[in-house]
Amino acid sequence: MKHTATTDDGHRSGTGARSALTVVAAMIRLADIASVFIRYANFTLGGGSATTAVIHGEIVAKRRWVTEEQFALSFALGRLTPGTNVLAFCVGIGWMLRRWPGAVVVLLAASIPCTLIVIVITVLFSKWQENPYAQAAIKGAIAAAVAITVKTVWTIAHPYFTAGNRLRVALVGAAAFILNVLIGLSPIEVLLLAAIVGIFLPEARS
Amino acid sequence: MNIVLLYLLLLKGTATAFAGLASLPVIQESLVNQYHVLTNEQLNEAVVITRSSPGPVGLWVVSAGYFAAGLPGAIAGWLAMITPALLIIPLVHFVGRKMGHPRVKSILQTIVIASAGLLLAAAIPLGHDGLTGPVTWAIAIVCFILLFTTKLDTLWMILGAALVSLTASSVGLVALL
Repeated sequence: MKHTATTDDGHRSGTGARSALTVVAAMIRLADIASVFIRYANFTLGGGSATTAVIHGEIVAKRRWVTEEQFALSFALGRLTPGTNVLAFCVGIGWMLRRWPGAVVVLLAASIPCTLIVIVITVLFSKWQENPYAQAAIKGAIAAAVAITVKTVWTIAHPYFTAGNRLRVALVGAAAFILNVLIGLSPIEVLLLAAIVGIFLPEARS
Repeated sequence: MNIVLLYLLLLKGTATAFAGLASLPVIQESLVNQYHVLTNEQLNEAVVITRSSPGPVGLWVVSAGYFAAGLPGAIAGWLAMITPALLIIPLVHFVGRKMGHPRVKSILQTIVIASAGLLLAAAIPLGHDGLTGPVTWAIAIVCFILLFTTKLDTLWMILGAALVSLTASSVGLVALL
């Protein structure tokens, strides 16, 4: 999980953003868009950053479908969008290329193949569970997954853990943990409370 | 479980998270604690599967959906994963006017940090379920150290861990797993 949370990369000047959007690519075929995103947005291991680099090479350097500025804008906004950042980034590119049809084509192209792979693996996984050898192997794999989940806590928080911001990160993170574990607030309640606190906290540094 | 309800519960997780696994606490609360259609063991397995397959980590909700309701559940998971991505379109429209606002940045930042705290809380039951003996504890600790000290891909870590526990079990150490 390398494509972590929001950063202020998304902070761009209005003029820059608008000029980026005024660059209209020649009419690119939806089939070509689908082909690129099927091939390059599905088969990356280890998170979104490698996927992003590969797509950059393909659509900026090689095909010149979008400008560097448009690419950077979509990447930054992808990180500000809830859900899977890399998918949002791809949809942003699709929308820039062909508006709604482009966005929908990219969304399907970048998500269906990897979803099918995960479904197949999940079905196999469910079948293997009857096998004692597989059970033993799965126990070890789960122990590794627990470590990965705990490490993800740091992956999510560390971009903000900068000089002058450390206390804020520690306090907000600890408060969320305590409110959930000890006070028993549900995660959604904690997130809503975090949003309200965010309104009143002094300006964030990143 | 009704598929539309499952989709909405998974969406509640994905639409309030800004990173792949950050949706886990909200989904754990709904599907494990409230509706009992998933177990913490299955949540752990969904993480294992996603970490062992290509594509974004956010795919873990597809596995979770499958465990909760079979193939229709997996489709609900896929829809819950892709729906929030469409929000980037209004963002592209409003960029430069709203997103750079310091107040907005501050709200987003606080939500993301809180989601990290919540993920740590969610990891407690996952650890309780997955770490059952000295061998699994040792695997988790070694992996944790490797995650911070090396750039080793998590796929190799999961495969290595599986091999270690398989070896331990085949030499008769099942009780220590």
